[in-house]
Amino acid sequence: MTEQNFHRFGGASRYVLDEELAKIVNVSMALEMPLLLKGEPGTGKTMLAHAIAESLEMPLIILNVKSSMKLVEALYQYDTLTRLNDSRFGDSSRDVSNISEYIRMGKIGQAFVADQRTVLLIDEIDKADSDFQDDMLDVLDQMQFDIMEIDRTVTARIRPVVIITSNAKKDLSDPFLGRCNFHHIAFPEPDIMRRIIAVHFPDLSNDLAQPAINAFYRLRQLEGVEKKPATRELLNWIRALQADPDFRTEALSDGVLPYLGVLFKKSSDLEKAGLVTAS
Amino acid sequence: MFVPFFYTLRDRGVAVTPTAFLRLQKALSLGLVASLDDFYIVARSILVKSERDFDTYDLVFAELFAGAEAYPAEGVVLDEVARALLEQWLKVPADLAKALGLSEKELRRLSAAELEQYLFDRLKDQKAVHYGGRKWIGSGGVSPIGHSGNRPGGMRIGGTSRARTASKVALERRYRDYSRTAPLTRSQMGEALKRLRHLKPAGPRDELSVEKTIYQTMRNAGEIEIVFDRRLLDRLKVLLLIDNGGWSMEPYVETVQALFHHARSQFKDLSIRYFHNTITDRVWRDPERRSKPETVEDLLRRDPETRLIFVGDASMAPEELLAVDGSIMLEYRQKQPSIERLKTLATTFRHAAWFNPVSSSLWKHGETIGIIRTIIPMFELNLAGLEKGVRHLTAR
Repeated sequence: MTEQNFHRFGGASRYVLDEELAKIVNVSMALEMPLLLKGEPGTGKTMLAHAIAESLEMPLIILNVKSSMKLVEALYQYDTLTRLNDSRFGDSSRDVSNISEYIRMGKIGQAFVADQRTVLLIDEIDKADSDFQDDMLDVLDQMQFDIMEIDRTVTARIRPVVIITSNAKKDLSDPFLGRCNFHHIAFPEPDIMRRIIAVHFPDLSNDLAQPAINAFYRLRQLEGVEKKPATRELLNWIRALQADPDFRTEALSDGVLPYLGVLFKKSSDLEKAGLVTAS
Repeated sequence: MFVPFFYTLRDRGVAVTPTAFLRLQKALSLGLVASLDDFYIVARSILVKSERDFDTYDLVFAELFAGAEAYPAEGVVLDEVARALLEQWLKVPADLAKALGLSEKELRRLSAAELEQYLFDRLKDQKAVHYGGRKWIGSGGVSPIGHSGNRPGGMRIGGTSRARTASKVALERRYRDYSRTAPLTRSQMGEALKRLRHLKPAGPRDELSVEKTIYQTMRNAGEIEIVFDRRLLDRLKVLLLIDNGGWSMEPYVETVQALFHHARSQFKDLSIRYFHNTITDRVWRDPERRSKPETVEDLLRRDPETRLIFVGDASMAPEELLAVDGSIMLEYRQKQPSIERLKTLATTFRHAAWFNPVSSSLWKHGETIGIIRTIIPMFELNLAGLEKGVRHLTAR
């Protein structure tokens, strides 16, 4: 779900942070520890970081972790190319002999030098290799890092609130887990799912929504499915059902489920689902 | 009051570190916890680092703080009852068959998991009779039949008896490993594949990388820096030997096969052979181990750089490994004891690894596991073990 959808979903004034989660956030802040959020894809981990930032009224800085990412990229960047260009053409206002003019802060660096307390969201940490993860927590523990090129140490002015998300797929290392507080976001219950759908399809009639949700949760129960459909798949499915002019909502209740390919992305899963609905 | 909480959690297998526990104390002293509900949430987020342990945590918490019954009659205890019963009955297959109302032949076809489920369902049906059955099991006594007895399927529990709980603990552990994510499961396939991708040889760094050289030279503002990459070597040959005999291995055989088949393209050559418990004179090309034997001598003629990978629980009666005619296949006479075969294989192929689905914490209880480990390096069949094993296999 995108940020935009989120705003529609709650908005700062109307969105009530899950009580349990609010408590965990508070404890993590008090203990000055990063909070690790885990959960299936499509359970809104990233969204919750947005909600936290909003209810705390702090700016949100997002570090989207990529598999090839090196830690230093998240901290700062030394823009050698611009410097080379400046030294060659000399038409900028920057002082070429001053390297610090070519240092740009990465996302973690930005959070450290910000004037006010920020929420630092480190999204999908499990994509990076374990060295990245451990080194990053070192930096977050000490709240400082060195810029080698100019021999300067950047120390956090105000410790940011660190939220880390991870898809449940991969286990993180024990030292990493040891330094985080942990919360697992369960897959939304059907009634919450109804609300989520209402956010995305405000005009959707209950005649379609309820049977679709029921069918969706039934399909999630299927044995031996490798990739269970998540919220994202359900939303796309409803979109597909709406788009089909021939589709009758009564069909869902009769157990006829079209467009299963939208829900199941693996051929073996699709086969299994097909068998169930056919019988 | 909190110290027992800590130890109970640890006893139940939740890996709570002392640091985490001290951190909880700190949270308490900061006045962040106002009620038991708060404590429940806060302690969980600080102490428990995996959703897999949430259930255990709930149980321990309820037991120590809410004064609830330690074992709810549903779920957990029935599971344990099922396991204990199963373990005991397995020693006398005829009894088990009778108890379940199956013939011995039918029984043999059931996998361990199926069997457990079957038993579990039965127990559930009879809840009225067996309610609170733990004690009943406990006083029932454990059948003294040893672990080298003759059982179909060969679900063996290695090691000596550890008083009342021995059998129960051992079997429980192994089953928990089946059902929980500890050893390899289908859903971890993607991750496991990533580990296997490292199973490729690394040459010396002597190939000029033009791209990286340009990049580094630019970073040095024109000062030339030459970067070398590893030379590409020919891909590896892999000989995969799978123990597919017996119930204990059944859940893994398919997963391991699928895993290596997915990775097939990355190997120069992948051959899969099957054996039962340990290597005797022959291995089989067909999973049924009937029609297509291949002698160990033939295996030995392969390229010695071939990576030799065993997958098995390495658990059997010691004589099967050590004696000349220890094989449980009575119709066949061996030429050498199995242990000699393993030694020859290990010296011929210097890159060999044994992946074992049994949790390493139990290895010391299995006599044959201990012996095999000294011959062939052993790793757990889970993601961490795969990673280590692959590192071992690619080391020079």
